[in-house]
Amino acid sequence: MTRACDVDKHTQEDNRSATSTEDLLSFFWVPGNERTVSVNMSESTGEAKQASKEVKESENVAEKYSALTVSKNTEMNMEELSSAFSAVPTHKPVKKQIQFVEDKQEFSRFPTKAGRRSLSRSISQSSTDSYSSAASYTDSSDDETSPRDKTQVNSKGSGDFCVKNIRQAEFGRREIEIAEQDMSALLALRKRAQSEKPLAGAKIVGCTHITAQTAVLIETLVALGAQCRWTACNIYSTQNEVAAALSEIGVAVFAWKGESEDDFWWCIDRCVNNEEWQPNMILDDGGDLTHWMYKKYPNVFKKIRGIVEESVTGVHRLYQLSKAGKLCVPAMNVNDSVTKQKFDNLYCCRESILDGLKRTTDVMFGGKQVVVCGYGEVGKGCCAALKALGAIVYITEIDPICALQACMDGFRVVKLNEVIRQVDIIITCTGNKNVVTRDQLDRMKNGSIVCNMGHSNTEIDVASLRTPELTWERVRSQVDHVIWPDGKRVILLAEGRLLNLSCSTVPTFVLSITATTQALAMIELYNAPEGRYKQDVYLLPKKMDEYVASLHLATFDAHLTELSDEQAKYLGLNKNGPFKPNYYRY
Amino acid sequence: MAEEQQLPGASGEEDTGDGPHPPAEDDRGDAGESSKEQAANAIPNLLRMLKAAESRWTPGQGRDGTKEGVTEALKTDMKIQLTEQEEEFNKRPMKTVPRTLSRSISQSSTVSYSSVSSDCLEDESSPRNKVQKTSKGTSDFCIKDIKRADFGRREIAIAEQEMPALMVLRKRAGAEKPLSGAKVVGCTHVTAQTAVLIETLALLGAQCRWAACNIFSTQNAVAAALAEGGTCVFAWKEETEDDFWWCIDRCVGADIWQPNVILDDGGDLTHWIDKKHPGLFKKIRGVVEESVTGVYRLYQLAKDGKLCVAAMNVNDSVTKQKFDNLYCCKESILDGLKRTTDFMFGGKQVLVCGYGEVGKGCCAALRAMGGVVYVTEVDPICALQACMDGFRVVQLNQVIRQVDVVITCTGNKQVVAREHLERMKNGCIVCNMGHSDTEIHLTSLQTPELRWERVRPLVDHIIWPDGRRIVLLAEGRLLNLSCSTVPTFVLSITATTQALALIELFNAPEGRYKQDVYLLPKKLDEYVASLHLPSFDAHLTELTDEQAKYLGISKHGPFKPNYYRY
Repeated sequence: MTRACDVDKHTQEDNRSATSTEDLLSFFWVPGNERTVSVNMSESTGEAKQASKEVKESENVAEKYSALTVSKNTEMNMEELSSAFSAVPTHKPVKKQIQFVEDKQEFSRFPTKAGRRSLSRSISQSSTDSYSSAASYTDSSDDETSPRDKTQVNSKGSGDFCVKNIRQAEFGRREIEIAEQDMSALLALRKRAQSEKPLAGAKIVGCTHITAQTAVLIETLVALGAQCRWTACNIYSTQNEVAAALSEIGVAVFAWKGESEDDFWWCIDRCVNNEEWQPNMILDDGGDLTHWMYKKYPNVFKKIRGIVEESVTGVHRLYQLSKAGKLCVPAMNVNDSVTKQKFDNLYCCRESILDGLKRTTDVMFGGKQVVVCGYGEVGKGCCAALKALGAIVYITEIDPICALQACMDGFRVVKLNEVIRQVDIIITCTGNKNVVTRDQLDRMKNGSIVCNMGHSNTEIDVASLRTPELTWERVRSQVDHVIWPDGKRVILLAEGRLLNLSCSTVPTFVLSITATTQALAMIELYNAPEGRYKQDVYLLPKKMDEYVASLHLATFDAHLTELSDEQAKYLGLNKNGPFKPNYYRY
Repeated sequence: MAEEQQLPGASGEEDTGDGPHPPAEDDRGDAGESSKEQAANAIPNLLRMLKAAESRWTPGQGRDGTKEGVTEALKTDMKIQLTEQEEEFNKRPMKTVPRTLSRSISQSSTVSYSSVSSDCLEDESSPRNKVQKTSKGTSDFCIKDIKRADFGRREIAIAEQEMPALMVLRKRAGAEKPLSGAKVVGCTHVTAQTAVLIETLALLGAQCRWAACNIFSTQNAVAAALAEGGTCVFAWKEETEDDFWWCIDRCVGADIWQPNVILDDGGDLTHWIDKKHPGLFKKIRGVVEESVTGVYRLYQLAKDGKLCVAAMNVNDSVTKQKFDNLYCCKESILDGLKRTTDFMFGGKQVLVCGYGEVGKGCCAALRAMGGVVYVTEVDPICALQACMDGFRVVQLNQVIRQVDVVITCTGNKQVVAREHLERMKNGCIVCNMGHSDTEIHLTSLQTPELRWERVRPLVDHIIWPDGRRIVLLAEGRLLNLSCSTVPTFVLSITATTQALALIELFNAPEGRYKQDVYLLPKKLDEYVASLHLPSFDAHLTELTDEQAKYLGISKHGPFKPNYYRY
């Protein structure tokens, strides 16, 4: 673990200090993804350092793009928007600088990261999704002093927080109110559990993205009786005004947008290290907080009742700790709960594949031939959406069971080479690497679109396209034309990174599922009788999973049927669930 | 095969001519081969099969621990006999015990019903008293009439067409003979599809002795063909209870032959060996069990520490489950409704109770036909799935007055009660895809003021005093078993799974399987699926070495961790 941590620091440092590497993605990714594999990576760190230097140009794009996506409160935004537009290269296609050396290195880095497979998306979508609304447009009034050096107090006179500017609280409040509209489940939870205060006495230290959606979660925890101290799990994702709004109501928040690496750990430390306040619960996203506490304040764990971890990465680290016998408190893996998994993958991708393709290319789907590589949850979602719009969908698959499912669902299962010359769109969602190779890209027809919904940016062998005979032309933000010597163009989206994170938004509803799951996991861990949870990593009990789902049914005006006593007895079930055995596949 | 034979007679044209039947009558024809006479017999046969299953499972015989699934098999024809029915319903709660999520009984294990009938020439002497010889002179079998082997051979040939996976398996493994030395004693339905399985096992090197797991389901001609081919078969159609156990005992043949693997469907054979020849278990390497019922019995044995060999639960393998439920029901809901009612789905409002695998299949099919589908559900996760799939989740009461069709697939009881039936609109169709015949509360309809009119085989009109009619299908029993066929392809999945489970158990190194119940290893599950892909001309992509390394999995699978939900 120690070794891993050192490596971590390096990689994080690289990525954090590098001026916005790729775009939103990379920072989310990087802390997340790199860490998972950091153990395998130890020898490649030196290399990694250079790797994160990147084409300067994409820097603005990233921020502006994310600003673009926050179209919710347009009035506020108009100015920003227009400036964003002009900044976005849509209007002035820029020939992409082909910087072989650096790029090569970056790609050559990937194989070494290999390590473990993730079946779910490589990183929890919900944990990254805040990006879509991450840009704090209020930052334009930047003052250059670091928040660390400022003394601020909220209207109640408390100064136990560290945010960019407490005066933005009112604006942040409005952001939170917008988010609340789509997170009715948490509001319902507040109402239902408010009188019981199931978290009374809980002292929660949290480390997540600090966005309006998280704020709704934090305020829910407070409403349920908890005291919270919060820090950001990513140095770029914080919405400053939301952080201010939280501080204003008394949550001790230590986070601002654009922290330095040093700031990042300082915030975490301030969050944890408080003589008068000993946390008894941890809510983590990525495992940084847990890790820091392990390193610096192992004693605090005596009082900790449990950890709730949301991300693939963090969960992986917890499992590693547990395997090594070093986990000394119970931990709850909310990443793999049924509801969250389905929303992160199947439902979310079903919507975002269309959105992402439309936004970037304005393609029309009817009658188009599409090949979807991989028929897991993501692939199933993409195929369903595309088929619904009248596209002709082919599948490639390695797993015979999934292949048979594809057959039964009416899709042709082919090898990529069989259809590569005829398809209009290629979508990868395998979680694998080099699924689409240069060889195949060479054979694609003019104007075909290549994009990735799967995992990291390994699926399409983009590195192989950076050769002198090919011209890259950036025609829009996130859209590159790769031009062959004979004039054939292949349209590459988001440079082979995740299309749905780069080019479409993650709906608040999906975040709501995650946040509700986290809140319930908190309640469960905090209230569990002594001995129910040992020092191990647990999945959320099915009953809680079902409760998360039921809290979201109201949005659809769905009316659940109740079992009669007699029926429950007949089935041998409790009337209130859980309704399915653990092995049920849904 | 079943389909081809059944289609002509299936819509029930001939039978409808007969006009309304009193419900209690027993002569509903539906399935059957070419002759009309047989067509008329088929359904009673089905019912008798179910009844037969019941008699062997009644609590009186000391096997009442059996799973809910069993009650499915128990259910027999719905005479309108209030007293008995009442009793039966009273009985249910006591039987409950475990919950079944899968269909109450494996579809594949019942499927043979659709192609059951085979006898026309009745000779009355019991096969037990006859001495028959195959053309090669052996006589270690007991079937109805060896002379019908030719006909049976043709039946088998038809089935082989739709079971390509087993044929491929024969080709691929025929040279290795992975089962050489295996002595398989089997107890399944003896039908053309099973025959393909048995002959595959034989080609892979096994010696087989076979008995029927149901006294009515045997296709005599097929049994003859198997006997002629050298398999020792002890089965004929319409055995008595005594015959049944006699056949099993002869089949085990303890004196002359020591089985080392068991292939069972329902657990009767295992039970018999356990009771009568416990010594045999010393040599037995494993049991392969297909049905929900049998699997449940095995789990109970294991729980009590009485299981003394390894057992393989093929019922819960991914591939089989998906085919038994999702895919199969997706097709049969439309087929079943069309055959019975000639219903047109477009724009009709359909209520599907339950959004499990079966419900998902039904909803998808109905929506594809343009039906307006509502869902009721008790489990919030499944309800949320229904929402996200674009179905309105409602309570039965909200829509009961407006829907045209109500389909139950909950596995629960009395989902549609009399009070709901009271409020349905005229002509509303009520049917059950779920579990046993408990879902629709039928006894509540057997009151004097309601008139039952049989308008077609398996179609009853229930007429209210005000003239309003409710159309009840299959008397509330499983629509897809009663009114549509189970495709041979589905059976092929099951049979292939069984064959691979046998190979795995037989060839497993000492110690891999202990005295417990195992699920089929994922790799074999994947292999079953892959053997069926050629039917779709599907081309699987292969991982490169580099990709396999990146994913940290073997190039040849298993590709997913065990908890993967598919």
